[in-house]
Amino acid sequence: MEDLIAAEAISPPPPPAWQFAGGPPGPARTEHRFEFSGDAREYFRIWVVNLALSIVTLGIYSAWAKVRSERYFYGNTRLAGEPFEYLAKPWPILKGRLIAVSLFAIYIFAAQLSWKLQLGTALVIALATPWLFVRGCAFRARYSAWRGINFRFALNYGRAYVVYLLLGLPVVLSLGLMYPYVKAMQKKFFVEHHHYGGMPFALRATAGQFYPPYLIAWGVTVAIVFALSVVIGMLTVLVAGSGGEGPPTWFMYAYLVPFYASYFAVWAFLAAALANLVYNHTDLGPHGFRSTLKGQKLLWIYAGNTTAILASAGFMIPWAKVRLARYRAESLVVLSAGNLDDFRAESRADIDATAAEMDGLFDIDIGL
Amino acid sequence: MSDAFAGTYYDGAIGRAHAVELRGVGSVHYALVGDGVERSGPIASLRITPRLGRVARTIEFGDGARVLLAHDAPIDAWFPRAGRMEAFVDRLERHAHAIAAAVFVCVTALAVGAFWGIPKAADAVAFRVPPEAERTLGNEVLEQLDQFGLKPTTLDADRRAALAARFAALGHDGAVEYRIEFRNAPGIGANAFALPGGTVVVTDQLIVALDDDREFDAVVAHEIGHQRRRHALRQTLRGSAVAIVAAFFAGDVSSAGAIVIAVPTFLLTSHYSREFEDEADRYAFDLLSKHEESPHWFAEAMRRLEAAQPAHRRGVSSYVSTHPNTLNRIDAADAAARSFATAHPELCPHGVCPGEEADDPDDPDCDDCETDDEAPAAAPARLDCAKDGSE
Repeated sequence: MEDLIAAEAISPPPPPAWQFAGGPPGPARTEHRFEFSGDAREYFRIWVVNLALSIVTLGIYSAWAKVRSERYFYGNTRLAGEPFEYLAKPWPILKGRLIAVSLFAIYIFAAQLSWKLQLGTALVIALATPWLFVRGCAFRARYSAWRGINFRFALNYGRAYVVYLLLGLPVVLSLGLMYPYVKAMQKKFFVEHHHYGGMPFALRATAGQFYPPYLIAWGVTVAIVFALSVVIGMLTVLVAGSGGEGPPTWFMYAYLVPFYASYFAVWAFLAAALANLVYNHTDLGPHGFRSTLKGQKLLWIYAGNTTAILASAGFMIPWAKVRLARYRAESLVVLSAGNLDDFRAESRADIDATAAEMDGLFDIDIGL
Repeated sequence: MSDAFAGTYYDGAIGRAHAVELRGVGSVHYALVGDGVERSGPIASLRITPRLGRVARTIEFGDGARVLLAHDAPIDAWFPRAGRMEAFVDRLERHAHAIAAAVFVCVTALAVGAFWGIPKAADAVAFRVPPEAERTLGNEVLEQLDQFGLKPTTLDADRRAALAARFAALGHDGAVEYRIEFRNAPGIGANAFALPGGTVVVTDQLIVALDDDREFDAVVAHEIGHQRRRHALRQTLRGSAVAIVAAFFAGDVSSAGAIVIAVPTFLLTSHYSREFEDEADRYAFDLLSKHEESPHWFAEAMRRLEAAQPAHRRGVSSYVSTHPNTLNRIDAADAAARSFATAHPELCPHGVCPGEEADDPDDPDCDDCETDDEAPAAAPARLDCAKDGSE
């Protein structure tokens, strides 16, 4: 369960790549809203043509599909009336996907062949993950722009290995108690290595602030599991009857439903709390952010999306994505001190140095 | 070109928006004017992003500066060579018939891929795996099972030898030698499974649950069917293929949770496994018949195993639950038993084969038993019916 939370919390979906979070509302700050103008019907057409062409070309077109899809979401996300731009080209994405798919195929195949081989593959993937993560962030940031100015993610592999790999050890040793602390370190790394307009983002949240959401989530989870186990234990006796007959098979599957549903609910509330925590404590120079995601609303959206996607055999995916993007944009505000016109691009030397390294062999974007 | 397009200009150095107008000058030059900006140059030096929905189109000047134009600005004539593929894609996206065709392609690919493409591709790989590799794989799996859950058998050696001899008699076909392994498996219960590469594992609990060695024959005949058709390896590869395809889509739907991927993956792999179970059942019926044993014993074994499940774990991890549709399978076995009885009158006088008589001596009502396919208990009576009908 923790893993799933972690996976989602590391990289919340749009607003893309960079993380915005709100600062303390100062008296001199002006609010600038995010708006999402995407439309489910319009995106459905783009999505279904993307999918069909990807199928017909055996996956090759999927890189072009990704660019069109990203451009759609960036281009329809506006801050203070100005759209974001996604500027990546399909070829490096295709290359990244080929590498990712082969890694994944090896892993899956190894899993079925032998657990030793799987362990070996998992180890190799684990060792490569922080590096790939940094490359992916840098790629995405470099091709994300607003008002004609590109984002940048500073390459810092050493720190990435510490926060995404080494700090796993204390988490295990402390039986998970260190997890919120490590999560905080990862967020800090992620936010503070992003730059825009010549300034780095800064995360003011302390590790201590990450504890209450997790402790509440853990406590609620334990309570729910306990309560459900009692209820289900009693139901099992009722359903099984007295004739020595076991409970019917459907019951054995049905009892998983409340467990999964409550997991889903806790997860939605935790995701909202963490996103708000990060957004609300992030600054970009004098500017801050305010995020007002509600766990209830997020749960409603996730539950509706899941149901719709399953019931429509996947054809409601565009609707689900648009719906989520709209809610995320609506819940986010930039609090600017002074003029948003004053962002300046970083010196050309900086950009060129980064670009030169990025355009090497492994200029990739992971993220299937 | 005399067109003029209103747009927003950014110089790439300062995040300030300039309201500008982009004009064609002659046929190969542009001029950009307005809000303190003035620049011009050859159109050939400009790059434009392809049209996409209502997303603004970006024209890049090559020095970091760019201008954003409305999505429907009729500027494509400026760039006759640029992005022809995506221009075509854009036309598809705006055309109702193309959308219908795309939906059709997706649905067809989904169905064909799931029920034909993945099985065919995985099988093609499976049949290329050398037998030694498959055996190594099977040994690895057994080693793994021995470490996590299986214990050494508690059956005595004579009993094991007798059962192994029955297994060898059934499984012997000259080409490949199959191997049987007995294990005590309190955590798994009565079960038997075919590992890749010819090894069949039978639990002590299964032997205890069965009442007659011919029932044992029926169960291992089913597992031999799995071996003969290399089901273990094929299922493994099909599972891998499904997981890879699912991962490809996961990026698209991850926001909606893992269950969106888990449910269809589970349904599809279960479908494959049911297919293999049916095939192994048919194989078992044939193999038993060839060895002059009635498929009746298969039905009998199924009933025993179902009855042997302790109440609290029935349907959890039993032989029966990993093999759904027990009633249908029992019916199929009974049908095969009727054919067997008809084909071997010398073995089954009056349609009743040895060992079947005692089960239900007085069920005389045969009027509707041909259509009575529900209750497994009616099976012996139906054998009597088959006799009545054929004589």
